Amino acid sequence: MIKLEFHDPSGALEVTQPHAPRLASLEGRRIGFVSNEQWQAYRMLPMLKEMLEQDFPGVAVLPVDAFPQGNALIGTEETAALVKKSGVDAVIVGNAA
Amino acid sequence: MKNAVSGIGLAPDAAMVTFPIDMFLPGSDLASLKERRREFYDGLTRWKSQLAQAAGSAKMLAVEGATYEDALVKANNLLLANLWGDGLPLWPATKERVDWILRGSALPRTHVLGKFPPRGGVTTIETCAIALAMAGGRPEYLPVLVAAVDACLESEGFDQLQATSGGPFPAVIVNGPIAKQIRLNSGFGLLGPDPQRPAGASIGRALRLLQQNVGGALPGVGTMAIFGGMRYTNAVFAEDEEGLPPGWQPHAAERHGYPPGTNSVSVVFASGVANVRRRGAKKETPEEDALNGMWRMADFMRTPNLAALAGWEKGTPGIMMLAPVVARRMAELGWTQRSIREFLWEHSKIPMAQMRRAGAPAWIEIDANPVTRSSIKLDPWPICSKPDNIVLIVAGGSHPTHSYWLQAHSPSVTGRVIRVPESFERLLADADRDLGCGEDVCRI
Repeated sequence: MIKLEFHDPSGALEVTQPHAPRLASLEGRRIGFVSNEQWQAYRMLPMLKEMLEQDFPGVAVLPVDAFPQGNALIGTEETAALVKKSGVDAVIVGNAA
Repeated sequence: MKNAVSGIGLAPDAAMVTFPIDMFLPGSDLASLKERRREFYDGLTRWKSQLAQAAGSAKMLAVEGATYEDALVKANNLLLANLWGDGLPLWPATKERVDWILRGSALPRTHVLGKFPPRGGVTTIETCAIALAMAGGRPEYLPVLVAAVDACLESEGFDQLQATSGGPFPAVIVNGPIAKQIRLNSGFGLLGPDPQRPAGASIGRALRLLQQNVGGALPGVGTMAIFGGMRYTNAVFAEDEEGLPPGWQPHAAERHGYPPGTNSVSVVFASGVANVRRRGAKKETPEEDALNGMWRMADFMRTPNLAALAGWEKGTPGIMMLAPVVARRMAELGWTQRSIREFLWEHSKIPMAQMRRAGAPAWIEIDANPVTRSSIKLDPWPICSKPDNIVLIVAGGSHPTHSYWLQAHSPSVTGRVIRVPESFERLLADADRDLGCGEDVCRI
């Protein structure tokens, strides 16, 4: 038999940071949206807000425009600082493609 | 999305709920969002990553076959099964072949160039050598590949360029004597295969394999390139510096300030190519022939290429390639690199009424760059902020009939000096021995 050994071409991956810890429950939590205003976000995110408010007693979902919107603004340090300062328990970021 | 997640250093097994693209289109039915809302809620609460630490590392693979050919087939099948191939036969990157390719490096094999987005695979000199080995490359090509990879990784918005639906591909322009030394085409058919000047095919294919295998740009998954043109070899070619008219500067000197004679790459992200029939058909005077051709080139450029907005301020709307014989005739008539760019810039401006008709202003209004956003006041609207942004290259066969326009999606044009190892002359001598003819390639 001929054995052929060769390199895996995919390169190593490094995990350098953990995912954000999950919330035990969404009940009574404060949730924000950070929207890039793309891909029907203007329809989907308000719908998600409505569903969260229906499904989880005491949840407070901030308006979709509570933080700066659009691809030019959502990734900035300023937006991140505003989100932190707001005291939300979690944010939903949308919509990617 | 897994690629994007691992690309920012998170474990790639993030919680996801995916939908067909139809739901993201105007007027779509959003019922499935409601139906699957529990999956969202679980992702926000119950989900836990199973990959707390290393998510993968480079390793050796092995296959066995009754004969070498059998083993080679199995190796190719294994590469395809792991989504590491491009459908064409590959050389398995054996230790022997990779070590041979690494003779072309001026840097240690473990030197890290960066993380290849969106997946974030760690990209070393060895990673490049593995890709070049698979692509059928040679050691003397490695310095160009490493410089091109370095330029790509430093290019503005490279993570988005890798993933976007528009499918931009790297066009690597090489200047300096290394182009001829390694048999990189600057003449007839420079964007296609050429058995006498095969370097561009291997280098470009290796770059593409890196984009896919290390960067995760897998069609429909890591890259949403709808059509994916030029995905086998990208475009790797040389400027015809010997064909430059007297007084004209090489591209790398004009754009990046490198002294003429410097070995360098310049990376533009192109998103398409168009042939411009430039030459006149009847009894035009030389002046008419030149001017008509300039108008035809400008006419091709005068389109609302909204992907080029990303490079409106500092990048480029595209590469205009002039054949050397055309450049020489135009220079004799008094045209300069500057006057050609100024003409093309001035006459490729688009009336705002035409922009409005195409819905283009909305894209300008949402652009991330405030300078680009402010361009909406201009009427007619220039396709880039200044003439110097247009990349003008003298290359191609010495024939007067056509020019070539590679429209761009290129937020930047990134240059890198090519570093060769001390043993480079030896590698070139080996290439002469192996390929049977010298740098002044010969058979036709």
